[in-house]
Amino acid sequence: MMSQPQQVSVTDLDVSQLAEVRRQLEEELNHLTNSFAQLKRAQATFKACGENAAELKAANTGRTVLVPLTNSLYVPGTLSDPAHVLVDVGTGYFVRKTREQAREHYSAKVEYIRTNLGTLEDTIGKKRENIGYLVDLTQAKLRQSAS
Amino acid sequence: MSLQARLQTASSEYQKLQADLSNAVEARQRLDAQLSENELVKKEFAQLAPDNVVYKQIGPVLVKQDQAEAKSNVETRLGFIRSEIKRVETQLQDIQLKSENKKTELGEIQAALQQAAQQSSPAAGTPLPSIGA
Repeated sequence: MMSQPQQVSVTDLDVSQLAEVRRQLEEELNHLTNSFAQLKRAQATFKACGENAAELKAANTGRTVLVPLTNSLYVPGTLSDPAHVLVDVGTGYFVRKTREQAREHYSAKVEYIRTNLGTLEDTIGKKRENIGYLVDLTQAKLRQSAS
Repeated sequence: MSLQARLQTASSEYQKLQADLSNAVEARQRLDAQLSENELVKKEFAQLAPDNVVYKQIGPVLVKQDQAEAKSNVETRLGFIRSEIKRVETQLQDIQLKSENKKTELGEIQAALQQAAQQSSPAAGTPLPSIGA
């Protein structure tokens, strides 16, 4: 972490330098919280995909569905093979999987993101702590110079 | 006045180096994202059953592709990205070194300028040795 060596000497800085360090930290925190929100959204999408895959039961074979061509244009279609789905695995590759495989794939994805969210949350917590420490320090310095 | 001119060229060069640096950092981050995405795909391909058909998206269509071919494609892409990362990494170091040097040069010129200002007009008579820009 970049903030470790700064943390050592941070008591020697004057108020304006402290404000600068704090601005930097806040920028980093902003970036991290944005990433956190993005990951959350991705996780929700994967979860929805898994749930949709679960909906494609064998009992629904031959049922009519509306296939979206655009956001507002749909055409009717019939479900001919609910046992298989095409899964986007990234970088332009799609894999034909059975329904069960697809569900496993998506729950693995959700789990993968969950671990990432955990580490990200820890980092965000540490950054917040650092900022809080800086705020305290700035106030202490201000009080000192006032008296 | 030659000191002023040198300061100007040195500082514009320094700014250019800083811009190059941020470009290189951006490229490095993009490559990292690509690397991790391709690695995820590779992991996904590694646990495919033989009956899982792989399609490649080319424009708006999906084209059926051999599993082995797709795997080797991802492998070559990974190799390419890794060599790109190495290239950008050396580029980054190069730019960092250059901008450090420029920074010290800038500091020297500023110090010389201050000296010249203190000595006022007599300093104008002795031209400083020019550093090749």
